[in-house]
Amino acid sequence: MQFEWTEEQDAFRRRIRDFLQANLPGDWEKFSEHGPASPALTAFARTFCVKLAEVGLLFPHWTQEMGGEGLGPWEQQILSEEMWIAGEPRGGQYMNVNWIGPTLEKYGTPEQKARYLEPITRGESLWCQGFSEPDAGSDLASLRTRAVLKDGNYVINGQKIWTSYAGLADTCFLLTRTSDDRKKGITIVLVPMDTPGITVRQIPSLIGEGDIHEVFFDDVNVPETARFGEEGQAWEIVAYSLRNERLGIPRFTLARAALDRAVMMLKQRGDFTREYVRIEAARCAALCEAAGTANYAVVQKRVDGLAIGAESSSARYATVMAERAVCEFVVEFLPEALAGASPYLKMHHQRGIVAGVAAGSAEIQLNIIASDVLELPREPR
Amino acid sequence: MQLALNEDQRQVLDFVEALARPFASAPLHDAGLALESEELDAALVENGFLDVMTVEELGPVTAALVVEKLARLPFAVEAAASALVRPLIDPELPRPLCLVEEGRTSALLRFLRPGATVVVVGPSGVRSFTASEELIAPAQEDTLYAYPVAFLTGLPEATIAHDVDPVEITRAWRVAMAAEAAGLLGAALTSVVTYVSERKQFGRPLATFQAMRHRLAEAQVVTNTVYWLAMRAAASGDYADAAMALLHAQEAAKRVCYDYHQFLGGMGMTLEHPLHLWTYRLKLLTAELGGRGAQGLAAAEALWG
Repeated sequence: MQFEWTEEQDAFRRRIRDFLQANLPGDWEKFSEHGPASPALTAFARTFCVKLAEVGLLFPHWTQEMGGEGLGPWEQQILSEEMWIAGEPRGGQYMNVNWIGPTLEKYGTPEQKARYLEPITRGESLWCQGFSEPDAGSDLASLRTRAVLKDGNYVINGQKIWTSYAGLADTCFLLTRTSDDRKKGITIVLVPMDTPGITVRQIPSLIGEGDIHEVFFDDVNVPETARFGEEGQAWEIVAYSLRNERLGIPRFTLARAALDRAVMMLKQRGDFTREYVRIEAARCAALCEAAGTANYAVVQKRVDGLAIGAESSSARYATVMAERAVCEFVVEFLPEALAGASPYLKMHHQRGIVAGVAAGSAEIQLNIIASDVLELPREPR
Repeated sequence: MQLALNEDQRQVLDFVEALARPFASAPLHDAGLALESEELDAALVENGFLDVMTVEELGPVTAALVVEKLARLPFAVEAAASALVRPLIDPELPRPLCLVEEGRTSALLRFLRPGATVVVVGPSGVRSFTASEELIAPAQEDTLYAYPVAFLTGLPEATIAHDVDPVEITRAWRVAMAAEAAGLLGAALTSVVTYVSERKQFGRPLATFQAMRHRLAEAQVVTNTVYWLAMRAAASGDYADAAMALLHAQEAAKRVCYDYHQFLGGMGMTLEHPLHLWTYRLKLLTAELGGRGAQGLAAAEALWG
């Protein structure tokens, strides 16, 4: 057991930092206050990711067969950490390289791979994830958006909600219902967002403009070949994808960087002498580091080729605890940060408050931990 | 970064496990509230398990792993200070070791008994002496803590000065306590999980009620991270890591102990159930080295100056 990065990994991190230094504009910090799904950041990411692709930093963790450098999970982690601390200049394209690409590779048809993987590798495509519905949030398996196969086409009707990036995405990774058999009746369809019948409406939110949306599907027609995997295979595929996604955003690193920034501001104005502030800051730091080690323990399992199970939910919940603590610390001791004094801390706050809601609510993570880590007898249904 | 156990570590832990197996369950113990075993202690010494830190290929992480494992037993063993602090002062110091902060020598001391080595750590340095009978005042006979505890009545005139940095000793002390807390937290959680999975009310196991499931799941999250922060602090030798590890451990202990007894209902108040053997060690550890606030200040100083 050892906790040091190798020289190669340190060099890899420096390479990313140097790239960011050279390629982020001077006013980036103010600019990154735009949420990762905002039109401004999405537009920026479309050029930024092309440059990342050119220098081999868009998907270096992918296997060589997929066109990556085969660097592996630790390097993916380092890449994600550096990008997220910098305010995620990849915008929504982080999803492409973290899970959409690998999921396409594992489950896609040759045609789907040919059509979708290449734009991802050029840094030119944006996806959205059509999962949640007004009546299917934590209870995702109750989703009702229908896809009916008719004359070689799926006809889709229904509504999605909380969909990040929907306003600008090229393609939707859409969960639909093809039969009433709860989890086994759910099927993935890859839907181009310019297909007639799709309406996207922004939802004004605390987490930045243009971040979350409602998406309506009215008699949306896609060919049967748009189906991803078999009918009824969605649950298996999504479980595979989300295990990557839960690790995907190293939120604890931004939380820790935000904490350091807050402490720096408090020191500058002479407010970091009060003992209760110092103790609370240390408690936040410990929670960030705690989340980091829990996440790293999961990455280790990926490195060792072991199946990742419920411990990813435990790591995720640790992250939620850290995010909450840092968000609360800033509001309590530096309230002006969210009112213009620090674009960076405001950016962190807006991303941090989502931690317990996105990618499976914190309560769902606790349910998973209770059943699958602690192996408590299940609740009656 | 390599967070899996290496072959040496796996072997050491397997040996410790085999050796500790006869002590894995608590005999009925209504006489006193702390359980000790001379036989277990002797076996650990004889097999060198408290000296693994000085073995080059094993080192402080393996020592912390051993401490964590031993803390899971219902028996209280003085392993943490001996395995993680003693090698830095003098590997030959007679055990048990009682660490005490300079200026706080009237504190309740774990494992204090005639023949124990008391190590006083503080700004003026690190000094030790062998506790003799007349320097020890017993604690109340039915003290609730699951460690053997006593008080010092004073300090002897002659003490041995050790040429070591007290800051470094305090760092190792924090790591030792964090590793011990990690094991105690793990064992207490396992014990509660077993009970609430078996105990039925309203026709179903208590563990099927979400009021408990979520609190136990949160306890799992903090227990897991206390383990990792303790191991990382052992590995890095970093002052901030050690302070954060003990801070997080003391926070966790405070967070879970009350719930665990609550979930056991009346059983949690009895000596029949062994839960208190872990929680009433954890509770005493929340006071170690000045408690959470002191660890917080130490961590803040190390992180941000």
